[in-house]
Amino acid sequence: MKEKIVEFFAERIPLRSIETHIKKPLPRHINWLFSLGAMALFLLILQAATGAFLAIYYSPSPDHAYNSLNYISKEVPFGGFVRGLHHWGASAMVIVVFLHLLRVVVYDSYKAPRELTWLVGVLLLLIVLGFGFTGYLLPWDQKAYWATVVGAKIASTVPFIGDVIGRILRGGEEVGAVTLARFYAIHTIWLPWMVFGLVGLHLFLVRHHGSSGLPQNTSDDMNAGKPFYPEQLFEDGVAILILFSVLVAMALFVPVPSEEIADPADASYDPRPEWYFLFLFQLLKYFEGPLEVIGTFVIPFVAILLLFLVPFLSRKQRLPLRKRPVALTITGISVLSLISLTILGVRSPRLNSTSTTVTEAEESKAPNSENTEVFDFGLEEDD
Amino acid sequence: MNPHAEDVSHPKRRSFLKAFLLLISGLISAVVAVPLLGFAILPALKKASKKYVVLGIVDLLKGSRFKKINYTFQSKDGWVQTNKKRSVYVTDAGNGNFVVFSRVCSHLNCLVRWEESKRQFLCPCHGGVFDEEGNVVAGPPPRALEKLPVKVEDGVLYVKEI
Repeated sequence: MKEKIVEFFAERIPLRSIETHIKKPLPRHINWLFSLGAMALFLLILQAATGAFLAIYYSPSPDHAYNSLNYISKEVPFGGFVRGLHHWGASAMVIVVFLHLLRVVVYDSYKAPRELTWLVGVLLLLIVLGFGFTGYLLPWDQKAYWATVVGAKIASTVPFIGDVIGRILRGGEEVGAVTLARFYAIHTIWLPWMVFGLVGLHLFLVRHHGSSGLPQNTSDDMNAGKPFYPEQLFEDGVAILILFSVLVAMALFVPVPSEEIADPADASYDPRPEWYFLFLFQLLKYFEGPLEVIGTFVIPFVAILLLFLVPFLSRKQRLPLRKRPVALTITGISVLSLISLTILGVRSPRLNSTSTTVTEAEESKAPNSENTEVFDFGLEEDD
Repeated sequence: MNPHAEDVSHPKRRSFLKAFLLLISGLISAVVAVPLLGFAILPALKKASKKYVVLGIVDLLKGSRFKKINYTFQSKDGWVQTNKKRSVYVTDAGNGNFVVFSRVCSHLNCLVRWEESKRQFLCPCHGGVFDEEGNVVAGPPPRALEKLPVKVEDGVLYVKEI
């Protein structure tokens, strides 16, 4: 019976060629870092699934967005878990995609004939950041609002066309209902279509050229390793299971940070972007006055341009990173800068935090105490 | 990574890996799918708690015969606090009692209309017809029109949806 069923499908779908494809041997020298791509693909599917379900209850308008998310978190069964998976999954995606890129750099995998795979990969990295930027406006809380106000203003500093870009991004002069609706559309329709198309292309190219393996692979080693299925897929599966377990634990035990509803008049709030944009946040502090554009546009633009150009900068054959002093230096400095800027961004002093958090904490402890009232009064005067 | 290259083709190892892969994918799918389905389905299955809401002043409704009353009440709709609108027919049954007919056709939930000349409720959708008591006279409706629970307090008529 089973044979008959297999036969039926084999005559109609190219099952045999799919089988040879998934059993294709990998290069001999390979390690678990080659599972990062599979982990990113898993996260993409997880984000798509949780996102599709969150969209069932989410309402993309400033009047309802915040309340609809409260409804999801507090009233819908498993709501906190689903939202937690999506929230922490986004952070995991940024980390995994970044490590995946580093793996490709360290093993010199972007060299011929895999330049296009790299280019598509860089586009995918930008799309992941685009998902992050459009995604965290959606809760319409203070962080969301202010990060988008600042983000759109950053885009406005692009020479000559900045104002137009900022307006297109916001849908007008200010962040409001129009901005939220278009960010929702970009986050849930535009970017997903792009990401699935580009991931398809990325996978096709990876499959077409085969895994790059480690630089020390000779041409004899290339198709002499273990088969993709089930050997490599098993290792991918273990890596994915570990990643998934961490995400489930975070979704269960670490609440998604929630803030007050967006308030354009609240000057007592310290705007901070999501952690993966903190490096940019910190970078902007070092360029004052007319130099501002260096931090907001020149450095990010050059960095992205360089990323695209990476495979074309050196045409030498593949070597381990330690034998590539220039690449090693640039990679090392870039990674260290990103990490240090992020740490500095996290530690960056908060102008208002002492007053607001203390007030909030005291308020929740003793809502009617005289102390709190005096404090509140002082704050109002301040405004 | 694999130090036992010669083991790669070992059938026992292969079937172990396959079984393990199946287990991993099954486990992950279940941990994701069960909450997602519960997330999407369970709130829809929750029964809304219905309360008595004000329909009108008893004095103004005295002597009514199939009088159409539209009323609104505050209610929570998901994450939105909203004014819901409803429409009923009210008949004074004497002795301070009132009969309130729901306008919802028992067939497929279209709203029926009282036709005074025929002394019948007519459904605009599939030809359902009900008499003065709300009983089915013709058409596909399986049951009589609902008579909604009512109460009178301090001269005010209250009604509750079923």
